[in-house]
Amino acid sequence: MELGNDKLVKKAIKGNKKAFEQLIKLYYDRIYRTAYLYVQNEEDALDVVQDATYQAYISIRSLKQPEYFMTWFTRIVIRCAGHILKRRKNVVPLTEETLSKLSESSQSDHDEAMHLLDAIGELKENYRIAIILFYYYDYSIKTISEMMEIPEGTVKTYLSRGKASLRKSYKEEGDKCHG
Amino acid sequence: MDNKEIKGAIDQITVPKEKVFNAIDKGLQKSEQTRNMKKKILVSSVAVAALLGMTVASGFFNPTMNKVLAKAPLIGGIFHEFDDSIGMELANQDAVTNLNQSLTKNGVTVKLTSTYFDGNVVSITGFVDKSVEKGENEKGEVSFDVNFEHNKGDNDPWLNGKSTDIKKVEQGYNFQWKMDYPYKTIKEDEFTLPITIHYINGIKGEWKFNIPIQQEKTSTISIMKQKEYPEDDVQIRIKEIDTAKASSSLIYETVQKYKDDDIYIQKAVDDQGKVYRFGNGTMIEEMVQENRYRSTVRSELTKLNKNVSSLTFYPMLSVADPNVQQLLNEKTFTLNSERFNLGLQVNEITKKGNELVIDYQFTGLSKKLSEHELELFGNNLQYNLLLVDKDYIDSINSENPVPPKNHSISINKVKTIDKKTAHFQSTFNLDGEEKIMDFTLENTILQFNFSSFFPAKELQPFTVELPVDNK
Repeated sequence: MELGNDKLVKKAIKGNKKAFEQLIKLYYDRIYRTAYLYVQNEEDALDVVQDATYQAYISIRSLKQPEYFMTWFTRIVIRCAGHILKRRKNVVPLTEETLSKLSESSQSDHDEAMHLLDAIGELKENYRIAIILFYYYDYSIKTISEMMEIPEGTVKTYLSRGKASLRKSYKEEGDKCHG
Repeated sequence: MDNKEIKGAIDQITVPKEKVFNAIDKGLQKSEQTRNMKKKILVSSVAVAALLGMTVASGFFNPTMNKVLAKAPLIGGIFHEFDDSIGMELANQDAVTNLNQSLTKNGVTVKLTSTYFDGNVVSITGFVDKSVEKGENEKGEVSFDVNFEHNKGDNDPWLNGKSTDIKKVEQGYNFQWKMDYPYKTIKEDEFTLPITIHYINGIKGEWKFNIPIQQEKTSTISIMKQKEYPEDDVQIRIKEIDTAKASSSLIYETVQKYKDDDIYIQKAVDDQGKVYRFGNGTMIEEMVQENRYRSTVRSELTKLNKNVSSLTFYPMLSVADPNVQQLLNEKTFTLNSERFNLGLQVNEITKKGNELVIDYQFTGLSKKLSEHELELFGNNLQYNLLLVDKDYIDSINSENPVPPKNHSISINKVKTIDKKTAHFQSTFNLDGEEKIMDFTLENTILQFNFSSFFPAKELQPFTVELPVDNK
């Protein structure tokens, strides 16, 4: 767990709402981006944040190991995002529309990044989770295996397959645009 | 392509901070409403139910679960639904008591189906039929307002650490309650646990049950080994490990000078390298002796393997620094932490209309703050400066420090003035949701607490030998 927060987490587990709020707000950008990667639009991402906050707050007493707060919360975010996707019943990969919206704010010099995001959006769900947890959150293979409830070997497989397909679509995407 | 690139790409997603904060606030408000409605946080939905399973599983993951399950009789199925490895193991050993008690009130039928008591874990499973959906909760939610042993409201030791799992089934919902056994001595004889469910999803009962609870004698290893940490003024004494059929519990005592210090054991590792995880723990005894606070805690841990000859414990200490405070009749002063070599130097206090601006910097920081630390400071400072009317400062209960309404302000807006010198400015809105009636600087105290700026520290691990007859 990151610096100094275990105390906050312990307080939060004991029902201290302020501590809980402080914690969630400390990681708001990470939480939002994770949600966004799943649902791919602002409105739904905000719904995920709201829902996850609620779900986490009412069940925080069940969190047995304070140092796992963030992994625990990330899982809630992933679940809530999954629910919203299911509700929409159409799991859309990043669309042209979302992409153009994204680029509005970040202009053309971020093309590369956009391609990569696009490619992440198109990954199979399991690969995507593994890739996000490993590269964005820097979690260890072991932690990811606990979070996803799959053996470490499977995590490695997901990562390498995810990476391979990223490389592939990333390259294709790049070729399309540059050539 | 590397992680930097991926991170970089993800960081391109623009975050609408205000909106995200709004969403968080709404989520919290919603939980507040649910809470007020039922007084207790017992709500659970399918999503949460699944999650609870994960949390428990991460602590007590049992790789042989599938093997166990294959052998488990029918009753094991419900524990599998809830990812309860203890339950599955017990079902496999035929050590779960089947119940068949059912009651219908106001059209809602509750049936209790099983119970077990292993180590310090008490589990009750049951079923409630789908007519609970008539209640005021959202579909998929089942919320119980329940008490045990005729206790009232939150004043019920069985509710500390109680968790509820819900699973939708064909005609209704299966549920499992898991509680930490709350008393010091574990009764060896069978006893009756009275249960009163007052409301389910707001539908009035009452559904009253009496269920038999029994735990066969567990094996106990008495250890009584003590480790002192003079520098931090704390001690830990490992007293005993009780091993039941599917779980173990550790009883240990902590002795500390500062009441609010939190000493906990992060994990233990045996001589064969197996890692044991701990539950939250139940305080079973608390006293003050020679100016030291002693508390005895019983905590669930992964079942202790046979033939273990030693265990190494990894304790953590979360240091609680006492509050420091100063009346604002002075314009410049320094607040010093009692236990950390750190100070808060107030440079200037200015009142501008409805705003009070306090300008301050930290002293004693050994190094430049990293970006992350800076972010943490900025975030925590919003909540860590408390302004309170001096006449009301004594009304704050140290056990439950709620700032007195209309006489205190606990939030402020933080501005970073200079990163290098850890120099910040806090602006308090004197006319916001929180306020101090008849505000004057001379009557207002600034209270600060340094604790949240320090991570819990790892205490030196220590090893205890277990008696060889642990077989």
